[in-house]
Amino acid sequence: MTKRPFDLKLRLLDRQVVDPDDALLCKVDDVEFEQDGDGAWYVAALLSGPQALGPRLPGLLGRWVMAVDRRLSLKARVPPHRIPFERVTDLGSAITVEWSDDDPSLAPLEDWVRRHVVDRIPGSRHESE
Amino acid sequence: MKRVLSVFLGILTAIGGFVDIGDLVANALVGSRFGLSLAWATLLGVVGICVFAEMSGRVAAVSGRGTFDLIRERLGPRVGLLNLAASLLVTLLTFTAEIGGVALALELATSVNYLLFVPMVGLAVWLVIWRVKFSTLEDVFGLLGLALVVFAVALWQLNPSWGDLVHQIAVPAKPADEDLPTYFYYAIALFGAAMTPYEVFFFSSGGVEEHWKPTDVGTARANVFIGFPLGGLLSLAIAGCAALVLLPNGIAVDTLGQVGLPVAVAAGKVALAVAILGFVAATFGAAIETGLSTGYATAQYFGWQWGKYVRPRQAARFHTLVLLAVIGGVAGVLTTADPIKVTEYSIVFSAVALPLTYFPILVVANDPGYMGRHVNGRLANALGSVFLVVIGIAAVAAIPLMIVTAAGQ
Repeated sequence: MTKRPFDLKLRLLDRQVVDPDDALLCKVDDVEFEQDGDGAWYVAALLSGPQALGPRLPGLLGRWVMAVDRRLSLKARVPPHRIPFERVTDLGSAITVEWSDDDPSLAPLEDWVRRHVVDRIPGSRHESE
Repeated sequence: MKRVLSVFLGILTAIGGFVDIGDLVANALVGSRFGLSLAWATLLGVVGICVFAEMSGRVAAVSGRGTFDLIRERLGPRVGLLNLAASLLVTLLTFTAEIGGVALALELATSVNYLLFVPMVGLAVWLVIWRVKFSTLEDVFGLLGLALVVFAVALWQLNPSWGDLVHQIAVPAKPADEDLPTYFYYAIALFGAAMTPYEVFFFSSGGVEEHWKPTDVGTARANVFIGFPLGGLLSLAIAGCAALVLLPNGIAVDTLGQVGLPVAVAAGKVALAVAILGFVAATFGAAIETGLSTGYATAQYFGWQWGKYVRPRQAARFHTLVLLAVIGGVAGVLTTADPIKVTEYSIVFSAVALPLTYFPILVVANDPGYMGRHVNGRLANALGSVFLVVIGIAAVAAIPLMIVTAAGQ
């Protein structure tokens, strides 16, 4: 098999992440590299959320996005959401990952808005008919 | 048989859904001042929206990705975010204009001040977005929008010299009392009204909502290539009616009532009632489309779950954002800014924002990584490239012309 270069920026970064049922999870806002024993670099994880996107936005806006996200969190340290690369099952027009409800949430804002806004409106559990 | 029926229904709703407040106002206004001498701008816009809607529909059917998903992927987070901000601004302005349009149409029917209707219209728009199934809302408002065919009937009733009308369209001649910058300013307004960016967000996201597969590319094409041009003919009929009735009497359109006036003159009261029904359906349908589009664009940029194909609680951020957009739109109309003026500005700013949407679509439609054997053919690329140049010129010229002509005064 010939080795073809894989363009991470084109084929991985900023792609939509979905679960096997095609539910939309997040965007690949950044990637995390690690080095193996031979010194070769590989992609260890996909990163997502304001803490991953912020550094890629210009100056003040980027810092502001990260600061607001930190303020909204209860924890002292807020790392980006991390999807270990072993979870990736398919790289297509979207990135498919194995992700279940037991895994840490990739979107705390979604959970908060669901609990405090959408679930309080009648009909939020209905399929639209 | 069922498939034929569904394609036919798709085409009908594409016709009825084509016209929105921007097309109504721009075409009547231009018809009343320039006759049919600017019909070329509408025709150009219709061909343009066909070229790019087909591309974005094909991309959605083959890759399952909405337009803004791809815009971020191709332009990166920085330019993508700038693009999102500009597109949202234009779409929200259009959304405000559509809500105002519904309220103005209700005022025409009842003689009750339009501002009283605005909160109810906002509530109705939100309820439909919250509860009604995607395909139902598309079909109902698309079919009711067909009431605007009454403009074609009115044009017929006016019994014009058809040769003369065709001559006006084929050999455009600027009226002597209008200057050249104003003429081109309104050309851009018509072009922007026909090609409004939200139509592409909505069309491609709608494809994802309805789970289009690569086998549905043919259906999407039929909707675009038959439905949109026939919808464009409705736009021309509106301009034609204004040219025949309003222009000779020196009436320049600045209310929705004047848009419908030629129908009343040509075909009477019942026809006017049908036209008003058409106004309500077209603007209400477009209000839902623009409202949803604000959610689609933002959610696709950030990778949020979006869409009406899941329960609202599964797309919580999306539905919260749409709710905020509805509140913002209602507040915008309640500032008592004239909705007709808001419409005029929204279509010119649409023209400015066009390249932001259409350039990335052209790039992605050429990427075999997404599209496989469905990549753009030569014809689509040739047309796409030509239109990108036209769109670029319109976008650059729009603001200077707006300043020079004092927004067409």
